[in-house]
Amino acid sequence: MTLFWLSVGFGFVTASVLAISAVGLSLQFGITNYINFAYGDFMALGAYFTYILNAEYLHLNIWVAVLGGSLMMGILAVLLNQFLLSPFARRFSKTFYVMIVTFGLSLIILNTIYSFWGPNVRTYVMPLEHVVHIGPFLLTRDQIIVMFVAVALMIGIHLMLKTSRLGKSMRAMSDNTTLAMTSGIDTRRITTITWFLSGTMAGIAGSVLGITEGNLTPAAGELFLFVIFAAVIVGGVGSIYGAMAGALLIGLATEISAAFINPAWKLDVAFVILIFALLFRPSGLFARPGKG
Amino acid sequence: MSAMWYYVFTLVFFLFDYFILAMGLNIQYGETGILNFAYIGFVAVGAYVTGATSLPNAAGTGQQYILGWGLPFPLNLLLGGLAACLLAVFVALIALRRLRTDYLAVVLISVSLVLYDVINNYVPLFNGADGLYNVPEPFASVLKLTTNSFVPFFAALTGVVALLMWWVMSRITKSPLGRTLRAIRDDDGVAATLGKGVFRYQLTSMLIGSFYAGVGGGLIIQFGGSFNPTAWLPAETFVVFAVILVGGVGNNVGLLVGALLVETLLIHLPAFLPDIPGHPGLIEYIDTIVVGVLLMVMLWFRPQGVVPERVRRSPFSLATRSSKTLDDRAIIVPTNDGESTPVIQQETANG
Repeated sequence: MTLFWLSVGFGFVTASVLAISAVGLSLQFGITNYINFAYGDFMALGAYFTYILNAEYLHLNIWVAVLGGSLMMGILAVLLNQFLLSPFARRFSKTFYVMIVTFGLSLIILNTIYSFWGPNVRTYVMPLEHVVHIGPFLLTRDQIIVMFVAVALMIGIHLMLKTSRLGKSMRAMSDNTTLAMTSGIDTRRITTITWFLSGTMAGIAGSVLGITEGNLTPAAGELFLFVIFAAVIVGGVGSIYGAMAGALLIGLATEISAAFINPAWKLDVAFVILIFALLFRPSGLFARPGKG
Repeated sequence: MSAMWYYVFTLVFFLFDYFILAMGLNIQYGETGILNFAYIGFVAVGAYVTGATSLPNAAGTGQQYILGWGLPFPLNLLLGGLAACLLAVFVALIALRRLRTDYLAVVLISVSLVLYDVINNYVPLFNGADGLYNVPEPFASVLKLTTNSFVPFFAALTGVVALLMWWVMSRITKSPLGRTLRAIRDDDGVAATLGKGVFRYQLTSMLIGSFYAGVGGGLIIQFGGSFNPTAWLPAETFVVFAVILVGGVGNNVGLLVGALLVETLLIHLPAFLPDIPGHPGLIEYIDTIVVGVLLMVMLWFRPQGVVPERVRRSPFSLATRSSKTLDDRAIIVPTNDGESTPVIQQETANG
């Protein structure tokens, strides 16, 4: 039973990383209506930006570096949208073209990371881990911080969507872009802000993944992308709350299963859940009209 | 035979092989509009099954794999193609029937990742991360071919197979089946209204394309004698898409041009360049970046590809069309400064 509770603890940690990344991906998908296949590489690049600040230059504290690295990723995401993705999305009516562009972008970012840092495993510079007992859970201090960051971000996103003018505009655009535009919402500005948020969250998620895994590799984000997709689809594509629920479900399921079967099959547990979700509830737990 | 000819025939082999792979993806995406982002997974299944059926029984080979029937050349290739079709049925029944466009693309890319994960981790299937090796070279013992003479021989053999498959594919695209597939690509709702069972046709297209993928993969494993997970990372699908987009979607001749430009000149030729001292692998990384950038530039300035799809006119059609290529329709003029609003299609009645 101890093993079970331990894996539940790890499940919450994985779910936290997953929730940050899934919400970042969902926000952008809801607004622009195409999947960003380079999102996993956004995560990896954000993690390497953090690495620059933390281990290569400046030698900042890891959490300050995470903040700086993910803001850099957010700015880069805005630039990529402005000069690459948005022109393609405006020019071609088929989402295929912009999807293929994100696919290509994914290759470009991944190989840029390889060119600069090589395929070797890197680690952040962090103080020694203290293991803390909380009830039946056994967690490191950094894992607890990761969970707090995730919960704070989720609450922040929730409040922004429900109360602020920006959040309301985002929800309106996500429902119907044309209607939002005719109602006087500056859709370009909202799109830019959304890409900033999405890029920043990818950066946070990537760095935090590097912290919880204890290492970072260029392809880490790409491998994690599938788990994010599983969480987003199980929750319901385009639904922020669905993404949160999906992240919790997939995070707990993969980690708890790892306590009973070979941990190498974690990914396949997520896939089996995805298949069942597709068979019995293809539009997801929190389906939204027009998004499935 | 000098080493240079050895390289030249290697390039010729990959040209023909990627021509086959491009035809398979083209009937799925170019003719039917299915975004098969798991394409390289079908190639891999074809390669593994071809390899495992031509290898002798696994006992005593130092490898672990299923099958091991020791079959001769055309049979193992056919089985490889059929195995890829089997995967297509599985994928189509779960995903294709329920999902459209981006959603389907996400699920397919997940299929490709999970397939990769399973084959990489489950050693008894196809020898895990080490992959299959020592796969017999077809006809090598009958014709007494050496390592050097095998390469030009197999390149020529692949050329014959590619020619045959090109002939079959051009028959398919000209047939009523090809017309129906293009109708579904252009508007599946309209095709359904005309009484076409959209899902059945999509499944047919998936099966044909997967067979081509499987055969293309089977040829790869027989050419090199080995195949392991590093050969089919999910991003490889992007290379095949680059081939058909650069060459020209929906045009079989364009696919050959695309295979020449992307696969032969951009992917395989730089592999023969010497490494930059102190930076192992850097050329390969830069090469991949160049492929990505080239595709974006190509999509922006010439979305119809080097050799565009011909407009097929019905002899009974009264309408005169001013546009020279079909892809003029793919470009929309922005009506305002906001984003265009692509619609994700709901399930159709037939889907």
